[in-house]
Amino acid sequence: MRPIALFFRLFVWFSWRHFMKHRVRALIVVAGIALGASVFTSVRLSVHASLNSFTKSIDLITGRSDAVLSLPGGRVPEDLLPAVLQQPEVSHASALMTTYVKAAGDEMEPFLLIGFDPLSDRPFRDWEAQRGTAGSDSPWLGLMADPFTVLLSEPLARRHGWQAGDNLTLAHDRDHAIFRVLGILKPEGLGLAEGGRVALTDVATFQEFSGLHGVVDRIDLKLTAAVSPVSLEELGRQWADLLPEGLQITSPSEAGESGRSMIRAYQLNLSILSFASLFVGMFLVYSLVALNAASRRHELAVMRATGASPGLVFALFLTEGVLLGAGGWLAAIPLSGLLVSYMLRGVSQTISTLFVRVHVDTVFLQPWEVLLSFGVTLLISLLAAVQPAREAMLVEAGEALTTARLQRSRKDSAGKMAGVSLALIGAAVPLSRLPAVAGIPLAGYVAILSLFVGFAMLAPWGLQRFGATVSPMLNRLAGVPATLAGRYVRDSGTRTAISVGALITAVSLFTALVIMVHSFRETVQLWVHQTVSGDLFVAGKLSAVNHFRDPAPERLRKGLLRLTASVEPVRSRRFGLKTGNFDYELDLLDLGSFLRHGRFVWVDGNPKALQSRLIDGEGVLISEVFANRTGLEVGDRYVAQVEHFAVELPVLGIVRDYRTRGGVVFYDRAAFTMRYADPSWSTVRLFFRQRPEDFDAALTALRREIIDRCGSHLEMVAGEELRAAILRIFDETFTVTFVLLLIALSIAALGITTTLAVQVLERLPQFNTMIAVGAAVEQVRSMVFWEALLLITAGEIAGLMCGFLLSYLLIYVVNVQSFGWSFIYSVNWKALAASLPLIVGTALLAALPAIRLIFRQPPAILLRDR
Amino acid sequence: MTDGNFLIQAHQLTRIYPMGRTDVIGINRLDLEIAPGELVVIKGNSGSGKSTLLSLLAGLDRPTGGGLTVAGVDLAAATESLLTRYRRSVIGMVFQNFNLLPTLTVMENACLPALLAGTAYEQVAGKAVDLLRWLGLEHRKDHLPSQLSGGELQRTAIARALINQPQIILADEPTGNLDSRNGKAVVELLAGLNRDRQRTVIIATHSNLADPHATCMIHLKDGEIAGRA
Repeated sequence: MRPIALFFRLFVWFSWRHFMKHRVRALIVVAGIALGASVFTSVRLSVHASLNSFTKSIDLITGRSDAVLSLPGGRVPEDLLPAVLQQPEVSHASALMTTYVKAAGDEMEPFLLIGFDPLSDRPFRDWEAQRGTAGSDSPWLGLMADPFTVLLSEPLARRHGWQAGDNLTLAHDRDHAIFRVLGILKPEGLGLAEGGRVALTDVATFQEFSGLHGVVDRIDLKLTAAVSPVSLEELGRQWADLLPEGLQITSPSEAGESGRSMIRAYQLNLSILSFASLFVGMFLVYSLVALNAASRRHELAVMRATGASPGLVFALFLTEGVLLGAGGWLAAIPLSGLLVSYMLRGVSQTISTLFVRVHVDTVFLQPWEVLLSFGVTLLISLLAAVQPAREAMLVEAGEALTTARLQRSRKDSAGKMAGVSLALIGAAVPLSRLPAVAGIPLAGYVAILSLFVGFAMLAPWGLQRFGATVSPMLNRLAGVPATLAGRYVRDSGTRTAISVGALITAVSLFTALVIMVHSFRETVQLWVHQTVSGDLFVAGKLSAVNHFRDPAPERLRKGLLRLTASVEPVRSRRFGLKTGNFDYELDLLDLGSFLRHGRFVWVDGNPKALQSRLIDGEGVLISEVFANRTGLEVGDRYVAQVEHFAVELPVLGIVRDYRTRGGVVFYDRAAFTMRYADPSWSTVRLFFRQRPEDFDAALTALRREIIDRCGSHLEMVAGEELRAAILRIFDETFTVTFVLLLIALSIAALGITTTLAVQVLERLPQFNTMIAVGAAVEQVRSMVFWEALLLITAGEIAGLMCGFLLSYLLIYVVNVQSFGWSFIYSVNWKALAASLPLIVGTALLAALPAIRLIFRQPPAILLRDR
Repeated sequence: MTDGNFLIQAHQLTRIYPMGRTDVIGINRLDLEIAPGELVVIKGNSGSGKSTLLSLLAGLDRPTGGGLTVAGVDLAAATESLLTRYRRSVIGMVFQNFNLLPTLTVMENACLPALLAGTAYEQVAGKAVDLLRWLGLEHRKDHLPSQLSGGELQRTAIARALINQPQIILADEPTGNLDSRNGKAVVELLAGLNRDRQRTVIIATHSNLADPHATCMIHLKDGEIAGRA
């Protein structure tokens, strides 16, 4: 215990009191770390809340089933239920149906309606109605006895002011009906599914309401024996005669695995992005600890001369870093509280838009996440302090008498660091070619880190060269102060240069994200205009929210047959399928008509040569995401079970598609009808054969005609509106990204402020000497201004270079390995040209406090102190 | 104690500083023997090698040639950790510019070497108070260095040098930053340590204040002994 107590006594005497003496510097660093840590924590907590909500909802709906009987892309015959129940392996079975419905009034949010048999479902799922709301002590009996009754979850009822006994008009994609509210569910079990936005009804009512007679979405099973994936396969073989073609027995744990893995990938990417803020904060810690080590060199020598071991000095400085990290983390707690409420909304919206529907109202403090944020913050602070602590440790006791060898060692280290940094930058290339590990682009992330560290370490050598190059030019352009500034930049040494690393990191992140988002947007825009083409999109009500899984209502299908000849329809049917744990869509569409008006954005394959083969149904097109997930290439065979049909077709080409639910496989609808069966269609897009002169009037007339022929129980959206909506959603999904980026830039600005302020304070005697030999105060200020400008410019140039490399990694490695998609590389020169001077301006503003520090006291007083 | 009852033995001691393409000689083939209890005054002009010799004796620097043994420790071959232990227990160092740590109080500065040697603060505090009382600094023990006069700073440095009861006190220009009254007082203190507490004291100085107390005077010139009395 004594050595520890002694260490902390020395720490208080030596380090803590020094911090207290220069508390503003320490507080700025703590603030930077706090910002980084709060971003990291709040992002992780927000995504975790979404993941938790999704998993919980899936688990609540899955209940205690051991196995699930389902038909890929279709529904299970209801009459299978009694047959399955007779099997000796089955103890209980329950049929389940789900769909999103909407109450009357278009402003209402859709919610999940679950149809089940309240009696046979009791062994599977828990739910209970609130006392006195269901009219009887057995609300499950009520659901069965009274058709068109529902039990509403408590949050849903509260949100809309619905009570037991109320009548609601609920709309499905084919029809609408009046339901009576039988009662309100307790906030437990199924009552909490979908974030508490759920309603329960009897399965017979559900079928009556949806028109899906004789089928159910799935049959959940409880088995008599313990279950393993192998035993489920075995069971499938045993029931081969019992089960119709295509029916599958799967583990309930597979449900939602695709959604979970997509959210996890998003969480990882956002965590990495938010980690960048912490990484920038790392430079602040480095900067301050290195300053302490450099400015207290003589004290260190005295310590060493009086008997302090190198290890003790190392530990003292390392502890300084840890203290700054711990302080930053503590300050991050209230900041995270503020940030998380914003992040929660943004993150859950993005996840709902891009991946799976989630409802998150509250965030729970996860001990693991708190521990992780504490550990990561402390670790990066510790790592940031290692190099300065090592330098402090190497101070020789003899320096108590002399300081002669300092300058030479600095120049040596700049050269050595340049070698290491080039190796690190070079290492990014082979790293970027390594495959993902379990779907995580680990090598890609290491390559990014390698780039960041490499460019930061290149800064000392880069500044030496930059300073040496610009100094002579500056003399002619801006006189002596600018020349001196150039010389200072040349000789500024490792510590100042590494601090510029914070700016390099932030600017490179900015550049890379601007390029990536622009490339993404440009590609999506191209895709939207070519592939999501069409003048009017028509589908059954709520068809989109239910992923177009059901054929369009008959009235709509028949009505569209009699439409005016001026429009050409492209009908489509989508099947939600699964390969491994990955959800995708099989999109059967009228390829002939589509290719007359629209186009795919090709990644692999010859569009002209393949057009007729595609229309003839010789093969499928697969999306880039599907190709990357499955490893399928042009020429391979696509194999799938679609309802009762085993589909096997060659892959003719690979195209880009940014649909929200993973990959897509395209095939001609007519060819599918010929080879297998008529899949009917769920959505149609209409193209004017010739663009009308008054387009808006023609579109209005077309809408009116459709309503006249097909009724109003449908959704119509103009192509222009749909494309604009997709791009608007796209822009919204990157709001969180840009907020994180702004925070990283703010931390870099704090770094500039600290570095320059420290440089000014350190060199006050030098400035006073300049005054003594005839310099004007304004000349000294001008010199410091030029120093700031040169450091910031050098940081921006290096940041830009790093950013371009980083953008390549993000687009072609991280995105491909995380989400399966890449984009057409496109640089937004306008945005870069407009924003980079803005960053220089902001950084110069951050330098102002340092410039103001000069001669805040009269030089005479400072000289006297000296 | 070393061979021949000498506390310090230097044989052909050399310290050369490489400075770019040329070498600067700090100490050149110096032979020296000092017995316990002596008060040695080393004199010489700037650049004569006084501070270099003191650095070598203090284990703050290593010879580039020859041998140096102090209190049985071969300083030319000692490891870094042995040198650290040596500085803690054998040597007490007094600097011209005091070299007190600015964030530590007088009391804390005085205690520092003992704490670094692993002694508990409670154990060393009483001894430090005694030393400060002896040096007339007891009323200043909670002050920071910035609140002290030059004489008080140097007396604090002496307290720090004595806290581990070292055999040898090395003083590098101890009066260089003091006025004549304080300078004389400091020299009296060092002489008293030698006379009353049998410490070996080595003072490198330009001034003549210590001359009357010296048992041995060494004159250095260009890193070599130019005269001895």
